Amino acid sequence: MSHGSENLEKLGRRDSALVEAVRSAAGSVLSLTPSREGSVTAKYGDRWVHSSYDPRKEARVWADAQLKEWKDQEIGVVFGVGLLYHVESLALLKPDGRRLAVIVPDVSVLKDALGARPLGPWLETIEWIWGKPADMARHLADLGNPLRFMTYASAASLHEAVHREVEASLRQMVAVRQGGYLRIAVVGPIYGGSLPIARYVTAALESLGHHVIWIDHSVHHTSYERFNSYRDVRHRLTMQGRFAEILSLDTVARLADDPPDLVLAVAQAPLTAGVLDHVRKKKFLTVMWFVENYRHLTYWRQLASGYDYWFVLQQGDCVEALRKAGAAHVHYLPMAANPQAFYPCSLTETERREYGADVSFVGAGYQNRRALLPRWLSPEWTFKLWGNEWEGAADLASVLQRRGSRIDTETCRKVFNATTINLNLHSYNGPSLDPQADFVNPRTFELAACGAFQLTDDRSLLPELFTDQEVVRFRSPDEVPHLIRRWLHDHEARRAVVEAARRRVLAHHTYRHRMEELLAVIGLRQPDRIGAILRGDRNAGALAARAETPPELETLLDRFPRDQRVELKDMADEIRTKGAGRRLAREELLILLLDSYRSETRDLV
Amino acid sequence: MARTLVVQLARLGDLIQTIPAITALKMADQTRGLDLLCPSLLTPIGRLIPGVDRVLEWDGTVWHRWAEEASHDLSPAHLEQATKQLEALASHQYETAYVLNHHRRALLAASLLADEVRGSVLDGPLGTTLSPWASYVREVALTGRGSRVHLADAFCGLCGVPPPGRPPVLKQSSPQLPLPLEPIGRRGEPWVGLIVGAGAAERLVPTETWKTWVVRFLEAAPAGRVVLLGEERERGRRIQDLLPSSLLGRVWDVTGRTSLLDLVTILRRCHSVIGSDTGPLHLAAAVGVKVIGWYFARAGVHETGPYGVGHVVWQAEDSNGEGHRERTNVQPVRWPIEETVGLLVQGQQFKIAPRVPGWSVWVSHCDQWGGYYTEVGGRFGPPLEREHLWRALSPSIIDGSAVGAT
Repeated sequence: MSHGSENLEKLGRRDSALVEAVRSAAGSVLSLTPSREGSVTAKYGDRWVHSSYDPRKEARVWADAQLKEWKDQEIGVVFGVGLLYHVESLALLKPDGRRLAVIVPDVSVLKDALGARPLGPWLETIEWIWGKPADMARHLADLGNPLRFMTYASAASLHEAVHREVEASLRQMVAVRQGGYLRIAVVGPIYGGSLPIARYVTAALESLGHHVIWIDHSVHHTSYERFNSYRDVRHRLTMQGRFAEILSLDTVARLADDPPDLVLAVAQAPLTAGVLDHVRKKKFLTVMWFVENYRHLTYWRQLASGYDYWFVLQQGDCVEALRKAGAAHVHYLPMAANPQAFYPCSLTETERREYGADVSFVGAGYQNRRALLPRWLSPEWTFKLWGNEWEGAADLASVLQRRGSRIDTETCRKVFNATTINLNLHSYNGPSLDPQADFVNPRTFELAACGAFQLTDDRSLLPELFTDQEVVRFRSPDEVPHLIRRWLHDHEARRAVVEAARRRVLAHHTYRHRMEELLAVIGLRQPDRIGAILRGDRNAGALAARAETPPELETLLDRFPRDQRVELKDMADEIRTKGAGRRLAREELLILLLDSYRSETRDLV
Repeated sequence: MARTLVVQLARLGDLIQTIPAITALKMADQTRGLDLLCPSLLTPIGRLIPGVDRVLEWDGTVWHRWAEEASHDLSPAHLEQATKQLEALASHQYETAYVLNHHRRALLAASLLADEVRGSVLDGPLGTTLSPWASYVREVALTGRGSRVHLADAFCGLCGVPPPGRPPVLKQSSPQLPLPLEPIGRRGEPWVGLIVGAGAAERLVPTETWKTWVVRFLEAAPAGRVVLLGEERERGRRIQDLLPSSLLGRVWDVTGRTSLLDLVTILRRCHSVIGSDTGPLHLAAAVGVKVIGWYFARAGVHETGPYGVGHVVWQAEDSNGEGHRERTNVQPVRWPIEETVGLLVQGQQFKIAPRVPGWSVWVSHCDQWGGYYTEVGGRFGPPLEREHLWRALSPSIIDGSAVGAT
């Protein structure tokens, strides 16, 4: 009997349907060749899937590294099939009782693996996850235990897109199954465009039931601004830098006051590399949502390794650049809208006169906008320009509102609602459209949330967020006047578009969705920590239900509501409240003793 | 046989101050089996305390690690491993545990290891009702009211036994030192141990002052030697850097390079030891070496002066002349350099130790009511407050039969 047949027989004892699929598969995706030490190895095109020298040794090193992180109760999930050397190593090294699953994006690769070499009885112990990405995600979600993902990069890179899809589906499933709540510190900036986003993030997390510690540095804005009065720019930069360092320490002191499960910083949050390093050493999990164009603001280079997780608005080069700069985990997380701040509203006649126009633009005076907006003025329509930093834009002076002062969120919403066609031109420091137009700005989502019609410059990441039936795009400046004429007087067509866009935003693009996604990503990467809390494993009911929980501890847990998250500190507080004057049980004493050490572990400042 | 546990989880100085209480407990009942629970780092010293049968090592770093893990994910496994750790410490439950410092952690550890806990708190590990002696110690600490009862004797009160009446001395440890340190104490005389550091920053003597002291001492004692002691290697190095090169062969810097047992041996080989209120200074007194203390900041000679007979303490006085009677952060303007050098070199008797402006000078004694200090040149004998306090706080245990030593 050949390797393939023997291996198929073993596989069949575990998953007969998969055996049929393997038999029907074409195979020959991998090219097999002997390694230097004699065992068979594989290439995909000109890329080595396993070591050309010693694939077994390489796999063992990888498996050893995975075992350090892999906890009891977690199901190990391997991305990357190859010739299964790494799966074999892990299966043989893992402690008894641990479950191991392998994602099979392409059955043909598995066919190659099964035909390449004889595989041992471990083959029958693997749970094979195969089929369509959504089905694989459902299969994983239904496994019931926390999942520990393990990526064998050289083999997984063959099917990165499928893995991404599986993970995305899984995150959605995990997000809706959330049963526990986190303590999250949100660190906001001193000022700027990311400040309202930090507030929306805070509100979204609270609406999801999490306990949010909002570290608001905008209260220091006036002091920060005062440094602008120095004549010497070096003095200003020095003082503002030092001030930011002080605020960074202020953040640390607040974290020490009320230690969170994770620290979520929004772009421009004043956290220095030194402080981030310190905070990480104290085992706080740190996350940055970089809601900026990474090409314009480049301070991420200094901070890349400082955060455990980065979430960014851009894909491809941005993700790669951050990884090269030292970021451990980088994920794409697009902008969103807050439907409580941006919504359709009816305006009075006076408001309509003030805020209304055929065409409007809201935003700061970037170079591309200064160059293009004058080209879109016309006697055929009224035009209003709102926002600041328009000094010197003489050809737009006639349409500039409120003398170019900064406008607040409420005014913004009214302008969006009162305007027939809102222009949405993404910022760029060049004379025309952004040649590297990838991320989608918050205004796109906010206009959609208001039920306001928009013409948006084309962005490579827009189609996966909105269809053409939801947001109308222009690809060149010359298209804009034609599009304005096309849509200005077609009320019904506009209505269909904005209603679809608003539906889309409410269904998929709110900050609540983003925060669910963000937490699901971290939860999947941290199954024993954040993931466990999100699953509700730290709730009193779940803790009491654990088989190994002694009756004395169960009695203690029964004092809490079953869906309440219970940590060491909570139990110690409960004992302190109700235990004075009576003889304490051994478990109670141990909890108090551990808590006395815990309270010393956050000596941060 | 009933077994007793003494719990002292604080630092070296507190462990040394616990020795009289252990001695007194043993004196009260010679048949009593007595063990000591102290931090792992201090167990070598614990094993030298007379009367201690067994020393239980409390490994705080392990508990810290478990607490860190449990704070992220409390599980029964954490309680299980903590239980195993306690079982490894002591295979049996103690009948009584005496807790000598008012730290919740010590009370909890004692409650886990013993059926009955005595000491600072009367109503269990969560209780707030202090025992009479604990109230007294706390009041002294909070109000700064000068105390004439030594902390070591207050520990005896916490244990419900009278002071031992004589200063206990640590058992002999190995007389050997690692080869590079072996010459210490062998050639030249007198050898003075200088403790360069202190547990609290406000109790640090400036390195410049120590440098001046070393220079003056070595000038005055041509055959004299100085050993720089303590954990603070940087301070030792700094003092060495400040010294003229001609003196360096007579100064041994062992800071940061000795184990606790090496330190004990070095202290034994010294003729005198000088320093501020620190653990090693108390250790020196406990091995039987004459000690000179410079007490300032919040250190008070009557509460924490070196325990024993014949030790001398210069106590910095407050600007209002109240000195140690008020617990203020007294920082000296000048230091008693010439006076302490004179005391060591010119063979002056401790009882006529010279006075220094801003400082008072005290010499130690011991009697049935415990350790005490009298002012050099003063007219007063043993302070009466001690007897009054013992009769007030522990009327049932005082029989007045102990023999004093001065």
